[in-house]
Amino acid sequence: MTFKTHLVAGFSLLVGAVAACSDPATPPAEDSTAEAQSVLTIYSSRHYDSDKELFAMFEQETGARLDVREAGASQLLETLRAEGDQSPADVVIAADAGSLWRFQEAGLTQPLISDSLNGLVPANYRDPDAHWYGVARRLRGIAYDPNRWTPEDLAYWDRLATEDKAGEICVRSSSNIYNLSLMSELIDRYGAEAAQSWATSIVANMARSPQGGDTDQIRAIAAGECSIAIVNHYYWIRLGASETEADQAVAAATSFLLPQFEEGSGSHVNITGIGLTKTADDPALAEQFITFLLTESGQSYLTRDTKELPLLDTTPLPDGVEKVPAFVASDTQLGLYGENQAEAQRLFDLAGWN
Amino acid sequence: MALIAGIAAGDGATWDHILQNRLVPYTLTTLSVLLIAATIMLGLAVPTAWLISQYDFPGRSVFNWAMILPLAMPGYVMAYAWADLMGVAGPLQTQIRDMTGLSARDYWFPNLFSAPGLAFVLASTLFPYVYITARAAFSMQSLTTLEAARSLGSSQLDLFWRVALPVALPTILGGLCLALMEAAADYGAADFLGIQTLGVGIIRSWTSFGEPNTAARLALMLILIAATFLIASRMLQGQRGTQQTSSRWQTPRRTELPSQAAIAATATCMLILLICFVAPVARLLWLALENRAQAVDLAPLLRSSLILGALGAGFAFITALVFSLSSKRNETVRMGARLIAAAGYAAPGAVLGLGALFILRETGQALSGAVAIGFLVWIYVSRFTSAGVEPIQATLARLPKSLDQASQSLGTTGLRQFWRVDLPLIAPGALAATLILFVEILKELPATLMLRPFGWDTLAVRAHAYATDERLAQATLPSLLIVLAGLVPVLLLSWRLSRTERS
Repeated sequence: MTFKTHLVAGFSLLVGAVAACSDPATPPAEDSTAEAQSVLTIYSSRHYDSDKELFAMFEQETGARLDVREAGASQLLETLRAEGDQSPADVVIAADAGSLWRFQEAGLTQPLISDSLNGLVPANYRDPDAHWYGVARRLRGIAYDPNRWTPEDLAYWDRLATEDKAGEICVRSSSNIYNLSLMSELIDRYGAEAAQSWATSIVANMARSPQGGDTDQIRAIAAGECSIAIVNHYYWIRLGASETEADQAVAAATSFLLPQFEEGSGSHVNITGIGLTKTADDPALAEQFITFLLTESGQSYLTRDTKELPLLDTTPLPDGVEKVPAFVASDTQLGLYGENQAEAQRLFDLAGWN
Repeated sequence: MALIAGIAAGDGATWDHILQNRLVPYTLTTLSVLLIAATIMLGLAVPTAWLISQYDFPGRSVFNWAMILPLAMPGYVMAYAWADLMGVAGPLQTQIRDMTGLSARDYWFPNLFSAPGLAFVLASTLFPYVYITARAAFSMQSLTTLEAARSLGSSQLDLFWRVALPVALPTILGGLCLALMEAAADYGAADFLGIQTLGVGIIRSWTSFGEPNTAARLALMLILIAATFLIASRMLQGQRGTQQTSSRWQTPRRTELPSQAAIAATATCMLILLICFVAPVARLLWLALENRAQAVDLAPLLRSSLILGALGAGFAFITALVFSLSSKRNETVRMGARLIAAAGYAAPGAVLGLGALFILRETGQALSGAVAIGFLVWIYVSRFTSAGVEPIQATLARLPKSLDQASQSLGTTGLRQFWRVDLPLIAPGALAATLILFVEILKELPATLMLRPFGWDTLAVRAHAYATDERLAQATLPSLLIVLAGLVPVLLLSWRLSRTERS
């Protein structure tokens, strides 16, 4: 079958041609600028348009160029692993402490020991071995119908497990990273057995099977399908800041609080954080970038659209975030979220939390 | 191909957990979704294809091509739109509550966030595959067969059930098989609706448990299901497949429907289009306008989408062609080629992407520039070749064997035979294949997300980024652009198909 061999030959020729053609199509020719300009390559699992403004600001201030690859944390991890020593990545940004721990555990990060960063970031929001630093905070709490419950009814996480909450709880799927991190802290505090029995009670109290995102849970409260939703604070804040009246009405009809695990335990906090990769060739530039994220303008750009809580208490809160009630943060070391993550998913599976 | 690398890489503790606790539910859910989706797709596609190919009624010429439009909607976009429409806080249910004064817990409403809901979402975007094949089968039926049946006094219904359907069935099943494999590989829609399919389990064992090997093994399960479909449809074809003796393929003249039946036919087609295309697109447009969504730099996204789509479609098409032609004369090779292609088609893009990363690790390259594009195109080829092989083989299957022999006896062989004889003959199937490939790649998400080089964000990547962050309003604009960019080839395809039919 000679036509087949011809075709194969033609195919490989085409591959070569396309590979050659696609070269100039790739972003700015690297060799012309590489000497004059230092480049920081960021692997980020955040996708906000405001981050682009933030990056542009850094480029303008320092003259460095930022190359950004955005994808899910798991995907970035596999990419880093696959690229090995050849990876262009200098820093990795993840929107969850558990993910950062995973990069560290896989041997993909290295310590960035910096007294100035240690001075800026409170100890429980950074890795003790300096593999990663938190730059913004995200809080998992409870949105609820204030006509139905008082804050006292929902003051602790185990109060969601009581029988009077039967058919009242809306929550998203268990594979969501924020549910996993919450469960990880429960496992750390009370052990696997107690954590699983808590999850089983939550499943028994669900108004419907887990579905949609956090925003959908809050809307379901306003629609009357349930009266309690486990959600991150910024989804509730964003509804209030929305362009549409319907969304604003949803925010107005619900309240938000941050339960503790028990009296004096503090509340569950998660972070957006950043770590130095093993392959980083300019740690000084990376440190400069992280420090920039922790300046007042860096903090306000990071949180302006996301409605996260700035990491630094000195930064003014983004519009709307002042509605989050005052809270005391749990002092759990956040790296635990990663350590317990697989166990958390396993217990969720056993509890029947889809 | 890429998958094997993933499976080979050792054991994990998670596998035991999955095996003991999750494998059976994942598989059962997947099978039930596929079963329901198959029923819906057949129910939508076969009657409309029959009506449109055999009868005249108002709007027929529009429906003829418009029925293919839903193909331009990615499954996950369809899920966003319908979840918003049907959700407890969506316009439909809010209207019900406002009108009746009931609370959300007092009435029954179909739950989209369920296995049938997922099946509906997937079926409504994928039924055109079945429609295309069914319509082609009906309109190409040998005139003599239908005339003979008519002259024997068969009623219209009889004609359909006893003659036309059995003859068309093998072709229709081929289309259904393709659509089901695509549905099985879905992750985006199932994840958004919270349905525990194998596709979701695969991603979960990777992202939550951090064990890509387990993901690869679960993917094998999915591929097993796909292979079963393919072999089953093949066996059914063997049993029921009917050789058309006459080569008079001209479409039988269409019958004018009596007025009441014509109104019913028009209404049915309109309703199907409304549900599967117009309503979700209109809802997305509405959301975009209501939230004053801003178009942020969509042009570079569109450009990347189009370039990657064209590259991927080109290579996948060539591969499909090689697969089809090299196996033209050998039944075993043909089935083998189809199985390999089907394995890729049923594997979720994320798993293939993982496989590519495993191989990248071996080569010690960074994922940027031409290397990344090369890998991405390679994955597109492994993933979508099946969508190209099937239409080409369907065309090939209709060609009489004597043609080959004739050309060989005239001394035309090899590449010459390919250019002068094979290519012109399969051109219609080939064009359809290329267009389908392009649209599929335009909609592809997970592999593109993983393997694209710096600065090559596509529309699908951006839509996904917004949607995962629950900013559906911003996700609407890139989503609508995907639909728009997909519409052009889909319209071309429709035009081409209608022309074939008329000639």
